[in-house]
Amino acid sequence: MKTCSAIASRDFRAFFLFPSGYVVIALFLLGNSIVFMGDVFVQGQPATMRSIFDFDVVLLLFLCPAITMRSICEERRLGTLELISASPASVASFVLGKFLSSLAALVVILLPTLFLVVLLELYGQPDYGEIASGYLGLLLVGSMYLSSGILASVISGSQTIAYLLSVFFFVLLSLGREALPAWTGPDAWSMMKPFDPFLRMQDFTIGLIDSSNVLFFLLVTSWFLLASIAVLESERRS
Amino acid sequence: MVGFLGHNGAGKTTSMRMICGVLPPSEGSILVGGHDLQTHRAQAARIVGYLPEGSPLYPEMRVVEYLRFRSRLYALPDPAEAISTAVDRCGLKDVVKRPIGHLSRGYRQRVGLAAAILHDPSVLVLDEPTSGLDPLQVIEVRQLIEELSADRTILLSTHVLQEVEAICDRVILLARGRLVAEGDLPSLRRESGMEDASLEDLFVALTAKAFSEGGVVS
Repeated sequence: MKTCSAIASRDFRAFFLFPSGYVVIALFLLGNSIVFMGDVFVQGQPATMRSIFDFDVVLLLFLCPAITMRSICEERRLGTLELISASPASVASFVLGKFLSSLAALVVILLPTLFLVVLLELYGQPDYGEIASGYLGLLLVGSMYLSSGILASVISGSQTIAYLLSVFFFVLLSLGREALPAWTGPDAWSMMKPFDPFLRMQDFTIGLIDSSNVLFFLLVTSWFLLASIAVLESERRS
Repeated sequence: MVGFLGHNGAGKTTSMRMICGVLPPSEGSILVGGHDLQTHRAQAARIVGYLPEGSPLYPEMRVVEYLRFRSRLYALPDPAEAISTAVDRCGLKDVVKRPIGHLSRGYRQRVGLAAAILHDPSVLVLDEPTSGLDPLQVIEVRQLIEELSADRTILLSTHVLQEVEAICDRVILLARGRLVAEGDLPSLRRESGMEDASLEDLFVALTAKAFSEGGVVS
């Protein structure tokens, strides 16, 4: 656990040592503020963060891979992965440390949006249960994006490819969600529905915390992390 | 101090990576301090210090931050003491607060060495520690390695044969991934019948012999 926290805290600090970290935070806040001013902060509109959360699910799809694209590619490029491999740290603690640092960065990215909740409180009566559910959903969806980004970073040789690979996967899933019913009919679509993360996120947005949705995101995140561990372990053994 | 010699592609770096647990052996096993690297990698890693070629480091970190990170990676009981000892031994006192990316290659090599000895390993594996350094830096790093060899075994890979002649007690010569010769320099010269030969001539003769025979010489 000590090695895992060492890797996590090093990576977390490194995220804020590069301008890219601040650019990600600024872009996220800017995007949220635009949606808030255009869609939420309008007279007669309900005091809810729903449209913000709907927007964030898409925005995070592009921002989370930017957090993780450096993680393992950079260690490989610098040669520091070799030093980690020679240390007592296990591959599992290394991958988990990388994931925790990116999750902590995601929390920092989300934090400034609480200012929008304060504005809602000042001018309306927001439902805090719904807002908390939305943030939980964002963290779970974000975890899924981050873990897929880590896997992309493990299997690709460059940061750019890692970024594109991670974004491409979920964009493809999103497009499939739109196109599949037209091609294959409603039956095939209903079979795919349980695997649709965007549909599951909608429940969180309206304040519904369904344990099956929570489990889904945790399982998918775990799968990506375990796959990353397996790939790194196989590299060590070959 | 053991010098690890061989032509490019002989298998020096691969062997070193295997000794440090970075790569697994294709067959057989490697014991470090009695610990099998395949089954007890973490225990073996605690008694081996490793400096890969080019001394990979995180350029954005300060020297002391990096050493702190490494001490946490090895879960050292007294990190402050370990860092202070390593900084003293490697002459890093003046640069501990500087970002690694701002240091000269010689200093970066020292930082790599400090990190490698942080957990006080009994075996230190150094892959071409003087490559890419200017002559003054080479002398400094070589002196440092000699000092470190006083209380530990050092396995040193280098292409600089004079370096081996100057500081190594024993030599291991590899060719085509196989052991070609092993021993101290006087006995290697004696066994090869080249008692007055330079290490360069000896290296060329033994490697050529291994290539012509296509296998292990001794």
